[in-house]
Amino acid sequence: MKRKLVSIPLGVMLVSSALLAACGGADKSASTTPTASTAASAAPKATEADSKPTAITIMSPLNTAQSPPDVIVKELEKITNTKLTFQFFPADTYEEKLNTTLATGALPQVTYLKNQATFIQMKSAIRDGQFWEIGPYLKDFPNLSKMKSTTNDNTKVDGKLYTLYRGVDIARQGLIYRKDWADKLGLKAPTTTQELYEMAKAFTEKDPDGNGKKDTIGLADRNDLIYGAFKTVDNWLGVPNNWGDKDGKLQPEFMFPEYVASMDYFKKLRDEGLINKDFAATSKTDQIKLFTSGTAGMYIGAMTDVASLNKDLIKNVPSAVVDVHSMVAGPSGKFSSWALGGYNNVVLFPKSAIKTEADLKKILAFFDKEMSPEVANLMFWGVKDVHYSVTDNKAKKLDEDKWTREVKPFADSAIGDDDTTGRYLGIPSIPAAGKADQLKIENLKYAVQDPTMALDSKTNLEKGVQLQALITDATYKYIYGNLDKAGFDKAIEDWKNRGGSKIIDEYNAVYKK
Amino acid sequence: MEEVNVRQRAVTTTRSSELSRRLWKNKWIYVMLLPGVLYFLVFKYIPMYGLVISFQDYKPFKGISGSEWVGFEHFQRLFTEPDFLQILGNTLILFVMNLLFYFPIPIILALMLNEVKGDLFKKTFQTIVYLPHFMSWVIIVSITFVMLTMDGGVVNDLLEYFGLEKVNFLLAPEWFRPVYMLQVIWREAGWGTIIYLAAIASIDPQLYEAARMDGAGRFRQMWHITLPAIRSVIIVLLILKIGAVLDLGFEHVYLLLNSMNRNVAEIIDTYVYTAGLKQGQFSYSTAIGFFKSIIGLILVMMVNRISKKMGEEGVY
Repeated sequence: MKRKLVSIPLGVMLVSSALLAACGGADKSASTTPTASTAASAAPKATEADSKPTAITIMSPLNTAQSPPDVIVKELEKITNTKLTFQFFPADTYEEKLNTTLATGALPQVTYLKNQATFIQMKSAIRDGQFWEIGPYLKDFPNLSKMKSTTNDNTKVDGKLYTLYRGVDIARQGLIYRKDWADKLGLKAPTTTQELYEMAKAFTEKDPDGNGKKDTIGLADRNDLIYGAFKTVDNWLGVPNNWGDKDGKLQPEFMFPEYVASMDYFKKLRDEGLINKDFAATSKTDQIKLFTSGTAGMYIGAMTDVASLNKDLIKNVPSAVVDVHSMVAGPSGKFSSWALGGYNNVVLFPKSAIKTEADLKKILAFFDKEMSPEVANLMFWGVKDVHYSVTDNKAKKLDEDKWTREVKPFADSAIGDDDTTGRYLGIPSIPAAGKADQLKIENLKYAVQDPTMALDSKTNLEKGVQLQALITDATYKYIYGNLDKAGFDKAIEDWKNRGGSKIIDEYNAVYKK
Repeated sequence: MEEVNVRQRAVTTTRSSELSRRLWKNKWIYVMLLPGVLYFLVFKYIPMYGLVISFQDYKPFKGISGSEWVGFEHFQRLFTEPDFLQILGNTLILFVMNLLFYFPIPIILALMLNEVKGDLFKKTFQTIVYLPHFMSWVIIVSITFVMLTMDGGVVNDLLEYFGLEKVNFLLAPEWFRPVYMLQVIWREAGWGTIIYLAAIASIDPQLYEAARMDGAGRFRQMWHITLPAIRSVIIVLLILKIGAVLDLGFEHVYLLLNSMNRNVAEIIDTYVYTAGLKQGQFSYSTAIGFFKSIIGLILVMMVNRISKKMGEEGVY
């Protein structure tokens, strides 16, 4: 009997250690253990004849549910005489993937980052000399030399260009709202932040969907102070873009009185129930659902999202009409619009995978072709008459879902801009989308740039994310009433003491040089 | 002298041949052992080499051999971090809650399942309680979000219906730990019963018969036979659980974490993610991970010693 009892724990040990081992394995591969060589071995040999297709491995974030079929890749290879391997990784965990791959020295020849923030974090690796400086080569390539110099300047590191950028509308932020609700309640598009508040109030309290129940809210927001509604609105209210100039010195946005006014604005929205109460814990998916289910009447963010929002909204509420709007004046009566440096992603060329200058030139040649109208259209719109049709020199998607499945991942990594590549402009699927296209150009007049875009601060690289969390948390707590003005000031003091003062000094040392 | 040497050599050869003979005799057992040994070697021991980067200013480009050594700088930064005590405290509190509220539940559940008569009912019930284990945390947290949100969540609507005040479950710091615990129990309790049920199944039925002869009721049988019989299993599992002390489920906590509850919800794992991985500070993250493993090791050794003192097996 005794023996038997002993054998039980042993058996248990075996089973559970196997279980533990299995779990451990799954964890590790995602975080610490170097993920096995990510096909960095695909580097081409310099000795190969030029006629032979250049083999290029590309790592890029994926914003769709699944990897695309190889329809576009096949076409691309044919036109550009290359052998392409696309490695798509989900955008949600892309930073982690990027960092672990970098740590193991296994980045492929062409490495896309995820957004401006990842680019800023990658700067120290760039300074270490891990990537090719491509600036001097651009003049040899007719199409690449057309890239916008202003955007190139924004992406320089210590005055040198290491990256090709993916262009994006500089001032695309605005309001997407339910026009049918506004018409019913006799409201016009808000021209001031006061009217914006009144619209949210009316949408919440005056039963815009006419079902006799108080089941609607004004604004749908999410747990993101930047790409959610907050930053767009605070710019309308006069807050600078990340950093502002005060008496010739740079100062972070949250030290401006307008920032506190913005927090008060959101606090009022929340206290009166004009915004979803849990917005600090709401994901983008849930935020979008609030709007597309017909619960919320306003969405503040990228106006260009209007087409996709509308598509899902009319499935649920067939009578819904949406519109966009962007000129909203703050208390000072002036318009302003948050500007995104002209790019939303960049491409890097690791030296670990590209050994020689000749190899680099071959890869740059591929990108040069990518910026010709023919290839740019393929990347952005897909195959003509399969994914899109052309009328009046403008493209129209034939099937939005098919395009999303087969082309979108490539469109998301297409470098350059509409005008620098000469690709077709789109025919808006709904009038509001056309209006959004116009407004984002008009917005340019009022665009507020981030003065630190091309500046560097060592402390910011090291601790910026952590320190920013202090302010983000304090901002939410203030809006939710868990923190008063004194508490918020204390958070700023905390931010300064933990390294913020250094960031201010470091930025000002290089500012206005 | 010569002779002695020869004899000694003869002894060693017979000894080594004895060993190789034994090896050969049991060769299939060793072959079966091989994958396990290889697994631990490749995925557990060799990567430990990477720990050296916690003492370096690691630059991927320069590699481990080329990076600069900085001594304990990263550990110093960790221990002087203003939030360090809070993060460590949060981690330990969640861990203790796990032990107090989660750990006994699979045992109780297994004992209860063991007493169930109908086979069909038992099997169905078992399957149902296992199921949540196969759902990812993303799904569980999303379901919870939909149920608990203040804008049309079922729970808050019910509270309102009964004339009670709405509760901000998702953002209120005091609700983070209860919500976390309930989710852990809901997902893992059923799965946790498997090993206990296996242990219970191997108890000699004669013991129960003898007890019944002596007039022991069901509850007495459970108390005097089932529980003592699985005591070793409970202790082994407890030690293993403690070994994973600080693995509270990064994904789970990260999904629940938001700006409003950070002061109770930030744990070592999430801190490594935001401060280390997201900012690409490999050395610093490694130092934190290293520190975490050391705490785990100390706790396991302590508990193992205690369990041996109490006359139990322990894990080593």
